[in-house]
Amino acid sequence: MTKETFLHDKHIALGAKMVDFAGWEMPVQYTSIIEEHKTVRENVGLFDVSHMGEVFVSGKDSVEFLNKIVPQDISKLNYEKAVYCQLTNKKGGLIDDLIIYKLGILEYLVICNASRIDEDLNWMVRNSKEFDVKIDNQSHNYSLLAVQGPKADELMRKLGLSTHQESFTIKPDKIANIKVLVSRTGYTGEDGYEILVENKNSEYLWDKILEEGKSFGIKPIGLGARDTLRLEAALHLYGNDLNEDTTPVEAGLSWSIPKDKTTDYNGKDIIMEQVKNGTTKKLVGLKMLDKSIARHEYEVYYKGEKIGLITSGAPSPILGANIALAYVNNNNEICTGTIVQVMIREKLHDAEIVKRPFIQKRNKVKI
Amino acid sequence: MIMPENLLCSKSHEYLSDNGDNTFTVGLTDYAIEQLGDIVFLELPEVGSEFNKGDTFATVESVKAASEIYMPISGKVIEFNEAATETPEILNEDSYEKGWLVKIEPTGDLETEQADLLEYEDYKEELE
Repeated sequence: MTKETFLHDKHIALGAKMVDFAGWEMPVQYTSIIEEHKTVRENVGLFDVSHMGEVFVSGKDSVEFLNKIVPQDISKLNYEKAVYCQLTNKKGGLIDDLIIYKLGILEYLVICNASRIDEDLNWMVRNSKEFDVKIDNQSHNYSLLAVQGPKADELMRKLGLSTHQESFTIKPDKIANIKVLVSRTGYTGEDGYEILVENKNSEYLWDKILEEGKSFGIKPIGLGARDTLRLEAALHLYGNDLNEDTTPVEAGLSWSIPKDKTTDYNGKDIIMEQVKNGTTKKLVGLKMLDKSIARHEYEVYYKGEKIGLITSGAPSPILGANIALAYVNNNNEICTGTIVQVMIREKLHDAEIVKRPFIQKRNKVKI
Repeated sequence: MIMPENLLCSKSHEYLSDNGDNTFTVGLTDYAIEQLGDIVFLELPEVGSEFNKGDTFATVESVKAASEIYMPISGKVIEFNEAATETPEILNEDSYEKGWLVKIEPTGDLETEQADLLEYEDYKEELE
């Protein structure tokens, strides 16, 4: 039985094409993926991402508990701030990638991927035995709306956002007179906000945002454009680019891992060893040099030898080129500027290894 | 002129249009295009290629995925739509007049090979 978000009827009324995503019936597009993609890059778009999981962690040992399950140092996370984290297993592999928010003293919010809620909860509970901590899955009580794009901030002000927020902060506020939790985060590479709202108010808020956003050229955006947007920004998609056999170091996420964290966490020995000595595989960005499109699980070759696999690939509507993420053997010959080949329908097509992200991100807002 | 009412359609959403001169035009139905969304890549076979009914002869890619296109009848390619390979988005505008794929000369027994193809009206009904 597929699940539906509280905004399901809104999507149908807007003429969305619905698909199954991680057991949820979700809008993949309303009009056109390319059009929706450009709307987010140029104006502002509204996403229903209510399928994502919200887990509240509280109690005396919250910090110690969270520090045990992610490589990041939660003791350094300040009030109303957010941090990008990974939930690692004992081998350093990725169970999920998360955003953790500090909501109060000994009170945290963990946002996880829809496809991973069960695994995440199971792993969190298993790791919580020695800690005085409450793990409260509230995913079924909240809807999550994302307002993303260069005009997102202006729209949020029009809707009543009362304070200035830096990127990666979260604050309780009122939008269109509805009590919400607002964070300046997203999954598009653009500036934008994510709004956590009680289910009963989600339809009202959805309509209000679309109505007030009209003058900014707002459009509802489906998961299709969400995927191409995140790929241009080289943001990982769990299940494609991340899995339990891949460590954050291999995934190019070393930047997010503190090297001076003193306490132990799952997989720390392996992760720290990789930080020090390197890995056998690494994540790279590819730009196809012809019109072909590399897709998930296509093989990558260099000098006639198979060196890796594509994990995500799609056209980039902004670059007008086809881009991809791939895991390849980690050797010095294979670096930015190297031309490799992707096997597409039994033919090899040239691709260049390029820097990630593929586009300039615009989500680092400081005030 | 390709008129939907004169088409035969396969269950895998290819259409076959009789040009009246022992050649046929093959393309994707409007329903297929609607389902695919934005078309961003199209690969068509060279003139002279021969295919059996049901063979993969072309590949179309939307933003999200690659899909194979199958021959509705056996035939030899006598022309392919070069403009469509260069600007595949024309398939989104019109998959009949502008966005056809290949023209073929049939090489099999037409009567038996067309037996499982549906008239456009019946094809539409089948989708509902």
